[in-house]
Amino acid sequence: MTRLTGRRFSVLIAVAAVIIPLCSCSGSSATRAASHPAKERKSAPDFTLRDANGSLVKLSDYRGKVVLLNFWATWCGPCTLEIPWFIDFEQQFKSKGFEVVGVSMDEEGWTAVKPYIAQHKMNYRVLLGDDSVGELYGGVDSLPTSFIIDRDGKIASVHVGLAEKNEYIDEIENLLGAKQARSSGSSVRHVPAALVGGAAK
Amino acid sequence: MCLPLSLAAQQNKLTVEPVKELTIKPGGTAVETLRVVVEPSFHVNSDKPKDEFVIPLKLTWIRGPLETEYTHYPAAEEIKVGDQMLTVFTGAFNIETEFKAPESSTPGTSMMTGKLRYQACNNQMCFRPATLEIRLPVLFQ
Repeated sequence: MTRLTGRRFSVLIAVAAVIIPLCSCSGSSATRAASHPAKERKSAPDFTLRDANGSLVKLSDYRGKVVLLNFWATWCGPCTLEIPWFIDFEQQFKSKGFEVVGVSMDEEGWTAVKPYIAQHKMNYRVLLGDDSVGELYGGVDSLPTSFIIDRDGKIASVHVGLAEKNEYIDEIENLLGAKQARSSGSSVRHVPAALVGGAAK
Repeated sequence: MCLPLSLAAQQNKLTVEPVKELTIKPGGTAVETLRVVVEPSFHVNSDKPKDEFVIPLKLTWIRGPLETEYTHYPAAEEIKVGDQMLTVFTGAFNIETEFKAPESSTPGTSMMTGKLRYQACNNQMCFRPATLEIRLPVLFQ
């Protein structure tokens, strides 16, 4: 059995604190979301997975960007509803420092995922996930599950189940805006209204 | 009577009611009916989903002394999730299998083992595909 290092254990505890309250409720029909003020955010666990071209991709490579990390699968109907939104987000916000990263949890692997990517004209990077990455993010038993990660690599919000498109847009725009506020020399860190309070919806 | 055993770590959105012993004569046929129950507010994909990417419900008898003549699934419901029309099963439904016993069967008991693979969703989220093991006691007369 692998021993957890102190750092890895800390990360697991931090992510568990964000995710476990959500996952424990995932049997209900309600969508679950949680947002966190900047000071309370935990680091998104890093991982390395392959994309459709076979390239290794590390989540930490995206540091400095706002990332929508979406766990999904080809067989997941609600995921299919969200994907066109993510295609729009990638087009709309990419130039501002935003990326969508899809992590497919399909057990059949690229055989199932590549035709889906082509059919749905997905314009963002898709990685093939596995159970170990799923476990880093609380198990990801239900799909879609999405994490909005800020430019510092910290989890700003979590959505378990189909979310509202406008909710995503507000969160992304606010996090992208936070960068502009900082770089303009403002001493006031812009904390989006949606992320203040941290209560699960 | 045997209870189905869950093979995969998953949240059981689907259960199979206890299976009764099947009595059959050498060379004869008999029908076994599985009573399947889907948790309220959830659905599982039908055996013939419209979308090529969707995982169908499928009962497969993998081990045992009987031959499978046919497996009959109920008529599916159509539901709309977003823009998608899905063919699904909800609530309680039956899956029938007709078995044939070999002429060479001798009186006694045996066991058929099957797997019921499914994938459950509600309108908001889906759960990873799961497989239930079905154990059907057989009595040869």
